Amino acid sequence: MNDINWVELSIFLFFFLLVTVMGFLASRWRRASALDNLDEWGLGGRGFGTFVTWFLIGGDIYTAYTFVAVPALLYAGNMVGFFAVPYTIVLYPIIFVFLPRLWSVSHRHGYVTPADFIRGRFDSKPLALAVAITGILATMPYIALQLVGIQVVLEVMGIGGQGDSWLAKDIPLFIAFAVLAAYTYSSGLRAPALIAFVKDTLIYIVIIVAVIYIPIQLGGWDVIFGSARDSFNSFNADNADAIAAGAASPKGLVPVEALHWAYASLALGSALALFMYPHSLTGVLASASRNVIRRNAALLPAYSFLLGLLALLGFMAVAAGIQVDNAQMAVPELLREMFPPWFAGVAFAAIGIGALVPAAIMSIAAANLWTRNIYKAYLNTEATPAQEAKQSKLISLVVKFGALFFVLGLPSDFAINLQLLGGVWILQTFPAIVFGLYTRWFHRYALLAGWAVGMAYGTWTAYLVEVPGDPGSHFGGSLAVVPFTEDVKGYIALTAFVINLLVAVVLTLAFRALKVPAGQDHTVPEDYKADAGDEGVEDLDVDELSTDTPTR
Amino acid sequence: MSDSRPPSGAAPSTRPTWTVVGVLLAVGAVVPLLVWMYDSETPALGGFPFFYWFQFLLIPIVSGLTFLAFKLSENATARDRAARRKQSTSGGSR
Repeated sequence: MNDINWVELSIFLFFFLLVTVMGFLASRWRRASALDNLDEWGLGGRGFGTFVTWFLIGGDIYTAYTFVAVPALLYAGNMVGFFAVPYTIVLYPIIFVFLPRLWSVSHRHGYVTPADFIRGRFDSKPLALAVAITGILATMPYIALQLVGIQVVLEVMGIGGQGDSWLAKDIPLFIAFAVLAAYTYSSGLRAPALIAFVKDTLIYIVIIVAVIYIPIQLGGWDVIFGSARDSFNSFNADNADAIAAGAASPKGLVPVEALHWAYASLALGSALALFMYPHSLTGVLASASRNVIRRNAALLPAYSFLLGLLALLGFMAVAAGIQVDNAQMAVPELLREMFPPWFAGVAFAAIGIGALVPAAIMSIAAANLWTRNIYKAYLNTEATPAQEAKQSKLISLVVKFGALFFVLGLPSDFAINLQLLGGVWILQTFPAIVFGLYTRWFHRYALLAGWAVGMAYGTWTAYLVEVPGDPGSHFGGSLAVVPFTEDVKGYIALTAFVINLLVAVVLTLAFRALKVPAGQDHTVPEDYKADAGDEGVEDLDVDELSTDTPTR
Repeated sequence: MSDSRPPSGAAPSTRPTWTVVGVLLAVGAVVPLLVWMYDSETPALGGFPFFYWFQFLLIPIVSGLTFLAFKLSENATARDRAARRKQSTSGGSR
């Protein structure tokens, strides 16, 4: 167990407090007329331009995912660990294609959530409900990953992790979350947006220093990749029997041929899934025009480049001789070893805040889904705007506790599997949402059936994945053998997605032949092309929100 | 891909532009997934195995393709919108 370094801890706390105070002040920033209105609280009034939107989307990408979860895979010699880079590369073209349409139709009809859109497009409450529930469910393990990130940082700093009771172990986690919950509760999306500036500034400083300073200290990239290669080769030699028996996975720098599809499917599945999450859409809908989205698609690479370099911190930890049981502690330990305490404090603050901000955005978005598409659609159809905002605030807390459940209940040695499990679920809403943006060909009940089959297959398959070397365990990974192949492993989310799509196509043909009512489409083709300033855009009074028009 | 397909009769057509946009984006979305193209440690560059530096190189390339697609789409969208406006003023109300 590490000793507490007081310089490091003080710097960490300083930034942490700074961010908390900013969160409270954020409610005054570009103050809107009525923060009690769900639209204001949840979408920040939808007036964000390119720059703020860029920071907000960055908040979704630079999280504990990049700082802790992905480098942990590389540290552990997982051959598919670098998939996060192609994931963020193929993301730009994908965003470019469908998000502008979603922006347009949402602004025409006042849709705040994907489920709003589904209900308007397919005239189906059950399908909208399925999309809403999936969004809330899938967000929880994603927030869980952020929790693990904070936990790891605190443990490396010497806080928590001691003692045998789970309470003693996790108290710092609860403190961090109480702070997050408090400022999210008081100021909505404006808090994370403002904090993203502090966070991203810190993160850029830390990353740039880390990827220049550490390689020089270690003797260059040759040495880093060379040490990782030697270390993995000697592991493979020492554990040849276990590997042959399937009790351990071979390590390596580059995916072997059998893992090519695993690598590609993790990248593609993650990219398709990202903008199905309610929190990603919140950031997109908060942007001021559809062009902002496309411009952003071309600006995102600055994020991916650093994401890739950050991932390589995993190899740097190997080269620096960091020995940890929990691979997720490798990078924080490396930073502690290489940097003076004050800078390690800055770095840990960057990671900690970098986990808090997305957790806030995610919980707000999941709460919006609940309020609009479950509470208001079923439980209290006459809800006042004040009641809606109150529901959202409460549920954003509930979602955070749901995330805690995932941390405590599932294997969290590789928290990325939590996020990838969320991806398995959220990707099942893709056919309804994205294909729905282009065509009404799919039948609403066929989409619902496809979703159900995809969810069931994905969940069951993920449940059956064992942690390597621990027979009988569950949710141990995100890869499974693709049906009808012998040994081709793929990301479960993408396999489930294909099955989902097949079911949807076959049943659509059947329902159409049987003339099952398809429901009424409340959108028209022009809705998908509307831009800021057009007739009807930003008129949020349409049917759901009979409240104040947000101020700009 | 043809996000803003022009109404029939609008001239000049933006369809070729949208096709180019589609191709640019398709290349950007597919090439990074062709793992067999780059699953090698050699040739190394500046200490980076091929597998790693090639993917870093893909970032600015795909970004460039996307930016080009953005510029083309900006232009095509403006022309589509002008054509639609012209049509709706002569063709009645929405």
